Amino acid sequence: MAQEITLKDRYGYMLWMRHFELACLEGVPTREIHGELHTGVGQEAISAGMVGFLSKEDAMCSTHRNHMHAIAKGVDLRAMLAEIFEKSTGICGGFGGHMHIFDPSLKFSATGIVGAGVPVALGHAYAARLKGNQAVAVAVVGDGAVNTGAFHEAMNMAGALSLPLVVVVENNEWAISVPFSASSATETIAERAPSWRAHGIRVNGLDVEEVANAFEAALARARSGKGPSIIEAMCYRFRGHFEGDADMYRSKEEKERRRSEDPLERTKETLVARGLATLEELNEIEKSVVASISEMLASVRKDPSPSGADATRYVFAE
Amino acid sequence: MARNLNLSQCISEALHLEMERDPQVLVIGEDVGGQGGVFGATRGLQKKYGSGRVLDTPISESAITGMGVGLALEGYRPVLEIMFVDFIGVCLDQVYNAIAKNHYMSGGKVRMPIVIKTAGGCIGSGAQHSQCLWGLFAHLPGLKVVAPSNPYDAKGLMASAVESDDPVVFIEHKGLLLKRAEDFTFGSDVPAERYTVPIGKANVVREGSDLTLVTLSGTVAPSVTAAEEALKKGISVEVIDLRSVVPLDMDTVAASVKKTGKILVVDEDYLSFGLSAEVVTRLLERKISITSVKRLAVPDVPIPGALSLEQEVVPNERSISAAIAETVGKA
Repeated sequence: MAQEITLKDRYGYMLWMRHFELACLEGVPTREIHGELHTGVGQEAISAGMVGFLSKEDAMCSTHRNHMHAIAKGVDLRAMLAEIFEKSTGICGGFGGHMHIFDPSLKFSATGIVGAGVPVALGHAYAARLKGNQAVAVAVVGDGAVNTGAFHEAMNMAGALSLPLVVVVENNEWAISVPFSASSATETIAERAPSWRAHGIRVNGLDVEEVANAFEAALARARSGKGPSIIEAMCYRFRGHFEGDADMYRSKEEKERRRSEDPLERTKETLVARGLATLEELNEIEKSVVASISEMLASVRKDPSPSGADATRYVFAE
Repeated sequence: MARNLNLSQCISEALHLEMERDPQVLVIGEDVGGQGGVFGATRGLQKKYGSGRVLDTPISESAITGMGVGLALEGYRPVLEIMFVDFIGVCLDQVYNAIAKNHYMSGGKVRMPIVIKTAGGCIGSGAQHSQCLWGLFAHLPGLKVVAPSNPYDAKGLMASAVESDDPVVFIEHKGLLLKRAEDFTFGSDVPAERYTVPIGKANVVREGSDLTLVTLSGTVAPSVTAAEEALKKGISVEVIDLRSVVPLDMDTVAASVKKTGKILVVDEDYLSFGLSAEVVTRLLERKISITSVKRLAVPDVPIPGALSLEQEVVPNERSISAAIAETVGKA
């Protein structure tokens, strides 16, 4: 399946991811979106690198910064945008909000609790073992999550049982205001993997091909029964931890320098340099993505809010 | 005629029948497999259903409860054992942020048919191995909370818990688990075949006309004994076993208090912000005329280590008798 996804396709996904996030940003100052919105602008190459490898049977457990992961898994964009914009047409009817996207038909779920998605992915991985199928469970986390007890517990059990679990760590180097270098006993996350009988690799998370290759290898390892993997993808969060974050903990110089290393620009340059596309062609693709999302946003904005009378529904199934 | 088995065997019998009936039922936890549970409530399951469906885990409660979420999302019905309810602190996140909320947060799209099977209650084990905590779970929306008082209910309620599409916290009382069925004065006859006891329906264990005594789990038996003693002094006590804290069967309680006008809640959990205040407040909201109210619960102290101290704070036959006399004005 992976062979069908070209670099140009991945660039297209990165455009969708970037402009989806930018569309979300529009709802913050207008107070259409409440609470702390987390966007992944700058981290697109990691999600785009995961596109095309997963089937419906494979699970993905995501985080508070989940939109791009959901796009990679194939979650319906409009339903997700409507959820984020607090509409009754949202993928969870407005009951979840932007941190809690659930699509059981694709085995996609997200949690707002840092690190809590990894044990859930462990459950999916154990289900694959019980069913005896080739399914893999993918947990995507940030670097902050790797220091939680839940992360260790799940990794240890996955290693002990040799379960098909692939953990993709988006290491953007900052857990809100605390740098990774100040919070980890190890220099990298990848080097911790052997202690859980897992395979660990650190990749450049700005390089969509490097991510895709590592992801494909980790999935193959998992599907062949060789156990869990950790992919540590180095990246940089272009915006604050959430919309409204004053972000004084990172220097202006650092932010400017790191934002200039844009994974979209990088991919675009590679495509042109390799003669796989012309600049004009790529600009046209971007224009069409922007137009599609703009149209989607305009349409979502016309949708109704959930009815207050429904607020006490769904506490119990029975 | 009571069969020769203890309460933990009744629970294991229920789990056997559920696992036989539904291949999606799993049992996961510490010492649940080879050992069959530290109280024997999962005995024989791994031998019969294999180490896939009955999984011995490391001491990793966050992993246990988290994987329960993933397995539920995959269509399984996991029974997760948290050996002692006191240990819930290390994994409460998965319990109240995922298991309890996923159905709601998904707008009803995903179900969490999970049983959190755990042991509570005071047996002289000190502050970290003696709590009940049903009030804590009940405070968190999305969890059903069950605590049986006798072998018949334990088996039937476990069957209902496993069959439920909602998450159920199932709190077994440590003081009852190893007690023989024949030593119970109520609920001692346990059919060998499968049956269910509905979750959310209280049981009037003993009828009476002067006072309504509401309780559950380990304090039902001493309440019944205290009620028998009270009758000798001319006080007729109706004893209601709630069976579950969520749902709380206020219809049964209200019908009784309408008759007696007096309410005593006996609760082995902590006093403040808990079950006893909830029961009384709901009666008041129903505008039921009450002439006397008393709450007998652990007076907001950790459970002490020495038995002489524990007996001072945990409701027992003596303190229940005193509370009955006080509530009816015959202290």
